[in-house]
Amino acid sequence: MSLAQLVKLFVIRNIKTERFLTSLSVLGIALGIGLFTSIRVASDRAISSFESDIRGLTPYTEYEITHTAGIDFDESVYRGVRSLAEDSFPVLRASAYFPSLGESADINGIYTIKTLGFLRSASGHRFETEAFFRDLNGIIITKRLAAAHRLKKGDSLPVQIYDSLRELKVVDIIDAPSVPSQTVIMDIGNFQESFGMAGRLSRIDVAADGETAGRIRQMLPAGLSLEKKAQVIENRKSLIASFRYNLEFISLIAILVGVFLLYNTVFITVVKKRTEIGILRGLGADRRTVVLLFIIQGIVLGTIGSVLGIGIGQAFAYVSVAAVQRTITSMYSAITISDYLITPAEALSALLLGLAISLAASAVPAYESSRIQPTESSREGSFESRYRRRRALFSCIGFIIIVAGMTLSYLDYRLMPFPFPFLAYAGILLIILGFTLVSPIYLSFFIKIMEQPVATTFGPAGSIASADMQGSIYRFSVALMSVAISCSLIVSLLIVIVSFRNSLTRWITQNISADVYIKPSSCRSNFCFFPLSRDLEQELRGFPEVAGIDRFRTLELTYEGRKIVAGFGDTEVARAFSGKRNSGSATRFRESAARQEAGISTYLATNYGLARGGTLELRTPRGPARFLIRDVFSSYSTTSGFVYMDRRWLTEYWGLDDATQLGIYAREGVDIDRFIHRLKASLSPRYSLDIMNTRELRERVLSIFNRTFAITYAIELIAVAVALIGVVNTLLALVLERRREISIIRYLGGSWGQIRRMLMLSAGMVGITGIILGSLIGGIMSVIFIQVINKISFGWQIDIDVPVGYLSAVSAALFLTTLLAGILPARVARKVDPKKFISFE
Amino acid sequence: MIHLIDVEKYYGQTPVLKGINLSVERGEFVSVMGSSGSGKSTLLNLIGGMDLPDRGSIKVNGRELSSFSDDQLTAYRRQEVGFIFQFFNLLPNITVFENVRMPLLLNDIADSSGVRGYLQRVGMADKTDRFPHELSGGEQQRVAIARALVHAPEIILADEPTGSLDTKNSRDVMDLLAALAKEEGKTVVLVTHEDYIARFSQKVLRISDGVILA
Ligand SMILES: Nc1ncnc2c1ncn2[C@@H]1O[C@H](COP(=O)(O)OP(=O)(O)O)[C@@H](O)[C@H]1O
Ligand SMILES: [Mg+2]
Repeated sequence: MSLAQLVKLFVIRNIKTERFLTSLSVLGIALGIGLFTSIRVASDRAISSFESDIRGLTPYTEYEITHTAGIDFDESVYRGVRSLAEDSFPVLRASAYFPSLGESADINGIYTIKTLGFLRSASGHRFETEAFFRDLNGIIITKRLAAAHRLKKGDSLPVQIYDSLRELKVVDIIDAPSVPSQTVIMDIGNFQESFGMAGRLSRIDVAADGETAGRIRQMLPAGLSLEKKAQVIENRKSLIASFRYNLEFISLIAILVGVFLLYNTVFITVVKKRTEIGILRGLGADRRTVVLLFIIQGIVLGTIGSVLGIGIGQAFAYVSVAAVQRTITSMYSAITISDYLITPAEALSALLLGLAISLAASAVPAYESSRIQPTESSREGSFESRYRRRRALFSCIGFIIIVAGMTLSYLDYRLMPFPFPFLAYAGILLIILGFTLVSPIYLSFFIKIMEQPVATTFGPAGSIASADMQGSIYRFSVALMSVAISCSLIVSLLIVIVSFRNSLTRWITQNISADVYIKPSSCRSNFCFFPLSRDLEQELRGFPEVAGIDRFRTLELTYEGRKIVAGFGDTEVARAFSGKRNSGSATRFRESAARQEAGISTYLATNYGLARGGTLELRTPRGPARFLIRDVFSSYSTTSGFVYMDRRWLTEYWGLDDATQLGIYAREGVDIDRFIHRLKASLSPRYSLDIMNTRELRERVLSIFNRTFAITYAIELIAVAVALIGVVNTLLALVLERRREISIIRYLGGSWGQIRRMLMLSAGMVGITGIILGSLIGGIMSVIFIQVINKISFGWQIDIDVPVGYLSAVSAALFLTTLLAGILPARVARKVDPKKFISFE
Repeated sequence: MIHLIDVEKYYGQTPVLKGINLSVERGEFVSVMGSSGSGKSTLLNLIGGMDLPDRGSIKVNGRELSSFSDDQLTAYRRQEVGFIFQFFNLLPNITVFENVRMPLLLNDIADSSGVRGYLQRVGMADKTDRFPHELSGGEQQRVAIARALVHAPEIILADEPTGSLDTKNSRDVMDLLAALAKEEGKTVVLVTHEDYIARFSQKVLRISDGVILA
C-alpha cells in the first residue's frame, strides 16, 4: 500500500470517526494561535504606526533633526540646514484629539509647496493649494480617515490641540498609501499663526548623504540633534518590546494547552488503532511508516487549527489592536492603528507555529505507536504499565526541571543578563514542563488519599473511579494538566492584576497632594509634553481660592540612547502646601531644592545599575549635568525610565520655564467642587482643559489601568475556554478509549447511573487536582511575573496581594465547569452498545 | 430455573432467533452448540438481561425478564449472573486482584476477603498484582472465571470461553470451570462451536437456523 493510501485509510478515517474530539482539539489550537496572532498583529501594527510616524510625509528622508528634550525649537536653524541639504522639510506638529470623531491624530504643519509637490507625485492628485493657503484653518486629511468618518471637503471639525479647542476645515483629501491614515496636514505658516507658534518647528526631515549629515551636525546649535530615522525607529521599538514580549508569552501559554489537546487526540487514535497498527506491522510496514502516519495526522490537525486560528486571530485583532493602542497611548504617546489585516507573512508564521506545535504534540504518541509489535492484539494496558515502571524516574526528572526553572528565574532576578526577562520566561516554561512530569505521581497520591472518603461518599462508583483513575494515571494526568495550565494562567494574571492595582492605588494616594489638577484635553497620555499657555497660569493666579500652583513640566530625554521621561516639579510649592497631607515624590526634596538632586524610577535603577547616593548624568543643551540620586521610587505611569527633578534645573539646563500640567493647592476652607465649577465656567470657552479633583484624577488613572489590562482579561477568558475544551476533550477521549471497559462494567452489572457517576467523579477529581496544582503553579508564576518579569520589563514596585476571595470564586467556577464538562462524556458513554465491544478484540 | 418460551429476536428485518424454547434446571451445566453466526451470543445476552427478546418469554426463577426495567436488569446481572467471554474482557489498567474484586465493588460489598480464595482456586494466587496484559490467555481466562464466581451468582453464562485458547489451555480452563460449577452448584449455560468443549457439560443442545434442535 502506498503512503497516500495509508494516510487516507488511517488519518482521514480517524479524523472522520472522531469528528467531535478532533474538532475540539482543532478549536483549542485555533484559539491559542488566534490569540497569539492577534497580539502579534496588534504590536506589529503599533510598531509600523511608530515607523510611519517617524518617517513622516517624506519617507525618503533618512535623517531627522529634533530637540534632545523632545520640545519645539526655533525655525532659524532651518536656513542653515537648507543651505547644506536642499531636500529638507521643516515640520511643526502637535498631537490633537478630535472629540467628534473620538480619534487622536497628529497635525503636521508643512511647507506646503515643497512637501505637497512630493505628495502629488505619490498620489497623482492635484491639490487645491489655493484654498489650503487661504484658509487659515484649512487641513488636508487622508482618504482612509475621511472614509472612516464620512468626511468630505468643506466639513468643519472641532479639534483639541495644545490647550485649546478650535475648528478646522477640510479643504482636501489625499490618497497616498505612504501617509499614515491619522495624519492631518496643515500649512506650516497657517499652523504657526493660528496656534501662536510663530517661528517654532518640531522637526526637520533631511535627505542627505553621510558626509552632508556630518556637516549639518556640526552646525546644529546645542540641544538639537540629527539622527538617522532608522535609529529612532529602533529606539521606539525597544520601548514597547517588553510590553509585546509579555503579551506574546502569555498567549504562548494558552497555545500550550492547545498542544495538550492535540497530543491527546493523536494519542487516542494510537490507542484505538492498536490492532490495526499491529496488523499493518505484520504486513510489513516498518516503524518509520507507522510513526509517519501519526505525525501526519498531527500535522493535518495542526494545519487545520492554524488556518482556523488565523481567521480567529483576524477577529481577535480588532479587540487586541484597540487594547494595545490604548495601552501605548497612555504609556508612551498617542497612536492610532487603523490597519488590522493579517499579512501573508504573519499568516505564514502563524501556520509555521501551528506546524511546530503539532509536530511536538504528535511526537510522543507517534513514537508510542512505533512500539506496537506486529500482530499485537489487545495489549491495551502496555503503555500505562510501561509508564508505571518509569514513574519514579519521570517524577525525579520533573522535580529537577522544576528546580531548574526556578533557579533560572532567580538567576534572571539577580543577574539580569539580558534587557528582557528571557530567562524568566524559559523558567516558567520549565516549571510547567516539570510539573507536567510530576503530575502523575501527584494525581496518584491524591487519589490514594481520597480513595476512602470517595468510596464512603459515592459507593461502588467511587471505588471504581479511584481504581480506574489509578489504572490510567498517565492519561488522566494529561487532562489534569490542561486544567492546571489554564488555571495557573488565570490565577497568576489575577494575582498580578490585583497586586498591581493595589500598589497603584497606594501610590496614587501617596502622590496626590494638590487639590486640583489641570492638563490639556488634547493630551491622551499619562504624560503631556505640550506646554500650557502662560496666560492660563496668570489667570489662575487671579482666583482668590488659589494658594499655590505646582507647575509641572515633562520632557522626553535620551538616556544611554533610550527615551526616558523627565518630570520637573515645583518642590518649593509642594513643600509649602502639601506637608499636612502626605509625602509624595514632589515632597521628597523637602530640605534641599537648591541641591542638584534627582529621584529616579526603579526601572532606571535596575536597568542602568543606578542606586541611591549615586550620580545620574544627563545630556542637556547646556552640556552634561550631574545629579545626585536622592531617591529611587516606582513610577507606574511609564514603562520606560522616569526621573524627577526640581524646576530650577529645567530653567538652568533647558532654558525653559513653562508647564505641561498644573497642580493647584487651594486655600484652607475652599469648597473644591465649587472652585472647579468656577474654574471651568471661566476658562472653558478659551481653553480645552481637563480639570480634575483628586478623586477624578484617581479614577482616571485607575480607568487607564483597567483599559490597559483589558487585553489580559480577554486572555483570561480564552484561557478558561481552552481549559473547558481541554477537560471535555480529555474526558471524552477517555470515554472513547474506555468503550470496552464501560461495556465490561455493564456486563458485570454496573448501571448507567454508576458509570455516569464514575465519569463525573473522574471529571471532578481531575478538576480539583488540576485546580490545586494550577493554583500552585499560578502562585509561582505570579511571583516570577511580579518580581522578575515585571521588574526587568517595567521596573514597577508591586507588592504581592493574593485576592483570596476572588480566587476562590474563580476556582469554584472553574471546578463547576469541569464538572459540567464531565456531563458530555457521560452522555457519550450512555450511547455505547456494550454488546458491540465485548465480542471482539 | 431458566425458561425460554418461543423467544424471537430480530436485528432489523433479519430474524436471528426464530422461536427458541429452552429450559435449564438449577445446578445444570448446559452447552449450546452452533456454527458461527447462529445466534449463540444473542441467546446468552438475552438470558443475561443484556438484551430483550422481540417476542416470547424468558423466565429466571419465575420472574419474567421482559418486564424488568433497565435498573432491575442491571441488578439481576450484578447479583445473579457471572459472565465469561471469549476474549476474557478483563479491565486492562487494573490488577488481577482488582479485576476479580470488581463485581464485589459493584454490589457494594466492602469485604474483599473472598477474592484471594477464588484466585487461589483458579491457581492464580501468586499473580494477584499482575496486570492482565502480563498474563497468558489461559491465565487471563482463569482470572475471568474467578471474577464470574466471586459474587456468588447462581447463573454462569460462558460465551465460547475457550475460543481463543489452545487445546491444552482449553482443557484446563474447562476442567476448572466444570469443577467449580459443580462444587458450588452453579447453573451454567455455555455456548461454543466446538464438539469436545460441549462434552464437559451434562446436556448438549444444538442451535441452527434460529431454533434449538432436539
Ligand atoms: N447488533 C447487531 N446488529 C445486527 N446484526 C447483528 C447484531 N448482533 C448480531 N447480529 C447478527 O446476528 C447473527 C447472530 O449473531 P451472534 O449471536 O453473535 O452469533 P454467534 O455468537 O452464534 O456467532 C449474526 O448473523 C450477526 O451478524
Ligand atoms: Mg458469538
